[in-house]
This record gives sequence, C-alpha cells and structure tokens, in this order.
Amino acid sequence: MFIRDMNLALIAILVLLLLVVPLTGDRFYIYITSLFMIYSLFALSYNLLFGYANLLSFGHAMFFATGAYVTALFTLKVLRDPLVGLIAGVMFSIPLALLIGFLTLRHTRVYFAILTLAFGMLVYAVLVKWRSVTGGTDGLIGIPKKGVILDISSPTAYYLFILAFFTLTTIGLYLFTKSRWGLLMRALGANEDRLPFTGHSPLFVRLYTFVISGIIAALSGSLYAIFMGVITPDIAYWTFSAEPLVMTLLGGASYYLGPVLGAFVLITLTTLLARFAEYWLLLLGLAVIAVVIGFRGGIAGMLVSAFHIVRDMRGWSRWRSLRLRI
Amino acid sequence: MSLEAFLSQSLVGLYKGSFYWFLAVGLSLIFGVTRIINFAHAAFFVLGGYLMFTFYNYTGSFILSLVLSTITTGLIGTFFEITLIRRVYEIDPIYQLLLTFGIALVVNELQKIMWGKFPRYVSIPEYLRGYIGVGDVSISYYSLMVICLSFLIFILVYVVINMSLWGLRVRAVWRDKTMAQIFKINPYLVYTSIFFLGTALAGLGGSLMVALHPVGPGLGDHLIVYAFIVVVIAGLGNILGAYVISLFIGLVSSLATWLLPEVDILIVYSIAALVLLLRPEGLFGER
Repeated sequence: MFIRDMNLALIAILVLLLLVVPLTGDRFYIYITSLFMIYSLFALSYNLLFGYANLLSFGHAMFFATGAYVTALFTLKVLRDPLVGLIAGVMFSIPLALLIGFLTLRHTRVYFAILTLAFGMLVYAVLVKWRSVTGGTDGLIGIPKKGVILDISSPTAYYLFILAFFTLTTIGLYLFTKSRWGLLMRALGANEDRLPFTGHSPLFVRLYTFVISGIIAALSGSLYAIFMGVITPDIAYWTFSAEPLVMTLLGGASYYLGPVLGAFVLITLTTLLARFAEYWLLLLGLAVIAVVIGFRGGIAGMLVSAFHIVRDMRGWSRWRSLRLRI
Repeated sequence: MSLEAFLSQSLVGLYKGSFYWFLAVGLSLIFGVTRIINFAHAAFFVLGGYLMFTFYNYTGSFILSLVLSTITTGLIGTFFEITLIRRVYEIDPIYQLLLTFGIALVVNELQKIMWGKFPRYVSIPEYLRGYIGVGDVSISYYSLMVICLSFLIFILVYVVINMSLWGLRVRAVWRDKTMAQIFKINPYLVYTSIFFLGTALAGLGGSLMVALHPVGPGLGDHLIVYAFIVVVIAGLGNILGAYVISLFIGLVSSLATWLLPEVDILIVYSIAALVLLLRPEGLFGER
C-alpha cells in the first residue's frame, strides 16, 4: 500500500482535524477538545504500562498530580510563566518515577497493583496534609496562563499550546514504541519469563517504561493545571487513576491509538449525557465489565474485526491482502 | 497524655479495627480460595449498611434487620459470583481485578440511585445505649458489642474452616484445586459458598457501622484501601493475620489521629508501603 504507516497517517489526520476546531471560534468546543487532548496524553501514558508492559497500576494519578502541583507551585512561588512551570513539573516527575519505580517494580501482577495504590494514596495524603505548601483540601488557585515569557491567556492560544505538546508527544511516543527500546517493552509484556533469555533485564525494561509513562502523565497533569487554573488533591485520589484505565480498556489496550479513541468516546459521552453525569460511573462500570467479559480488544478491536469482515466479503477479493497495521 | 486518654483512644482503635476485620476477613478468604482480589468488597460492605437502613425502617427491629441485611448482602454477592466472576477464574489476574473493579463501580452507582446521595444512618436501639467503664475510661455498650462480635466471628470462621467438613473441602480447594476435584469436591460450589460467606460478613460489618457512622457515597472507595492494607500486611489468605492486623491498623490510626493529627493518614500508608517492600508476602504469609 502507499501508506507506509497507518498509525502515523491516523495521527496526521487527527492533528489536522484538531487544527480546524479553533477556527470555529466556539469556546465550548475549544474547551472540550482541550480536555480531550489532556486526557488522551494521560491515557496514552497509562497504556504504556498496561497495554505494552502488562503492568496494572492503580497509582498513576500520582504522576498527574505531581506534574500539576509542581507546575502550580513553581508558577505561583518562583517564576510566573506557564512554559517554565510545565518544564519544572515534568522534570520533577523523573526522580519521583525513578524512586517509586525502583521500589515497586520488583513486584508484578497483583502486588504491583496494590503497591502502586498504597504509594498513590501516600502522595494523596501528603497533598492533603501539607497544608502550608499545597493548600490542603482547598488546593491551589490562580495558576497563571499569562507569564513573563509566554502569554497564552486567550483560549485559542492555549489550545494551540496544548495541541503542540499533544502532536509532539503522540508522534514521539509512537516512534519510541517502534524503536528497539519499544520492542523490548512489547517483548516484556508478551512473555516476561523469556525476556531474560535474550540477555535483557526485565527490571530495567520495566523501569524505563515506568519513567517514560510517569513523564507523560506529569506532562498531562501540568497542562491540566495551567488549563484549569485551579487544582485540588482529588486528582491524586486513587479513583482518578481509574479514568485513564477505563479509557485504555474501552478504546483498546493493544492498539497504540486505542487510549486516544477511548478518551474521545468517554469525553463525548459525558458531554452528550451531561444530564446523567451524576451516574456516569455506572456506565463506566458496565463498560469495564463488558470489555473484560466480552471483547478485550475494546472499540478499536471491534473496528478492526468489522474491517476484516467487510474485506473478506464476496466481490472484494482484490482487497484480500489488505491489512490494518495499527 | 494521660493513661485514661490513652486507654480510651485504644478502645476506639479496637472498635475501628473491628470494622476493618469484617471487611478483611471476606477479602482474605475469597483471595485465599479463589485467587481473586475482590475490589468490589467494600461496595458490598456499604451495601450492607444501606440494606440495614431499609430493613430497619420496615421492620423496626434491630436484630432482625441485622440478620436480614447480612443474608441479603451475601446473596447479592453470590449473584455477582455466579453471573460474572465465575467466567474469569481461569484468565489473567489483571483482568480478574478489572472485572471486580467494574462491579464495584456498578454497585456503588446503583446504591446512589437507590438511596440518594445523602448519608444514611439508623439509631441504636434503647438497650444498647448505655456506657460501661472503670474510672474515666468508659466504652459504650454498642462499641463493646461490636468488638466482642468481631472476636466471635473470628473464632467462628477459624473453627468452621479448620474443623468442619465444609472447612475441610475449602482447605482442600485452597491447597490444590485439581487434587480436590479428583476427590469429587466441586470447587465451584466451594467458590460460591466462600463468596456468600465473605460478602455476608462484609454486609454484617456495614450493617453494624451504619448505627454510629452514616453510610454514604465514597465510603467504599476509602474503606477498600484500608482493607487492602490490612490484608496485604497480614499476608493474603491468612485469617489469624487478618484479625491481628485489623485491630493493629485500627489502633495505629486512632492513636495517630490523637497524637499526631498532622500526619495521621500518612502513617498507615507508610506502614503499608514499608511492609510490602520488605516482606511482600505479608507478616503472616507463608512462602
């Protein structure tokens, strides 16, 4: 086929579509789409652990919250600039991810899930209790969009700011998963007992996966803090870690763009069903049960099998060799 | 820091710990036998509280509604085991955890729809309202009853598992499922009965709690973390360990709230993280 890489093509189409949104000038669409991009990044970072390295974490919100809080504190106390604050938030997540990863990654499976839950709640407890710095349950307010270097106070400017990071990260992360480092990551997820036979340490592979995942989660948290202007410790509570998990599951954990699809579907649903927003966790729960019992591939998996059914129908024989490589 | 205050606070801790025990016993039993970590367990605990509220409004009898809500919660737990959880015994543990997480979300939201968003509670019956004490240290009849009942349940579960014929079957499946099947023990029947027992005890805990603490949305999310901490520190599947550690965590958290209010919740999480790092199989665990 003339398209070398289906995923890069899809990302290109997505970015082009996202570029059209600010032209409408509708503040509501700009708001929802910004939120979609932030959650997509969060879910993509989560899928690195869940879909690629086969690690279930219930504490991923700690990186999101760390990114958000460090960015907020940096812009409020040190230098009033969103870009510098963002860089500070992302930088801070690296030693944290190294430390937590080093402590937790010796355990896998169920113990890893519970250990990340405990560490995530530890971060939450610190944010709630360290009132003088983090503002306790009130959180932090007045995170500036207009800084000394960069001014992104208009919705369109801020939208483009997020879009730039979204594009760079989705493409960069995709190239990473295609690199030999990414290959090792997939090998680990596929069969962690056989990985040592190739001479690679599973612990090392898990560690760099965890750190990269933490960095991207912190990036999305930082973007969220600047976008909202207000943050509260709720974003560190363990139930918040479940959001990227559900997005990943629903979209399809075994596809690179699955989490983005999941984020899109969930955010569209919550917006459309705003009246039922109170009970939307019920919908999430049913979706999780359906995915686990019925279709592990999520929505992306369903789309791919639908494509194969159409391809194999009579009269389409010249497309028989066509494969979706996503 | 006087001795009386210390003793009173310790009693409060034991009382709190008893609730963690009602939650931890089922979690531990279910994991020990079926190898499933039941994320929905705290949701059943809260469900027990809500059912107690409803039954108490209808019957007006404290003891009767306690029994009714315990059994109903057990039956609802069994329903989820038969319809959903039974399908995933053989698959990747990550997906088992996810399924029970989905069930937790569904049960939580259904409670919100049924009983509304406001906390519910029932009043303690007249005959349990008094206080008993020596000097300045006193405890209400109700708290004392909860502490004694938790001990009674511990003895009962221990005896049933270790001495009854049914307990023998449970232990057989616990040790080696295939071997148990050779001896004509139906493991799925054992799984279902363990689910009934575990969720019923969670329901009992919730029913007892609703009399002093209001039960409302979000309580389950908070409790499940403590239940995990207890079970993991004790060693998954260890009943004696779960009882000791439940009371210990109750004591630590209530003494920490009294002595070091600035960092109280941090202490419990730190203990959990430390134990998991140093001894991931738990303090009472085998392996």
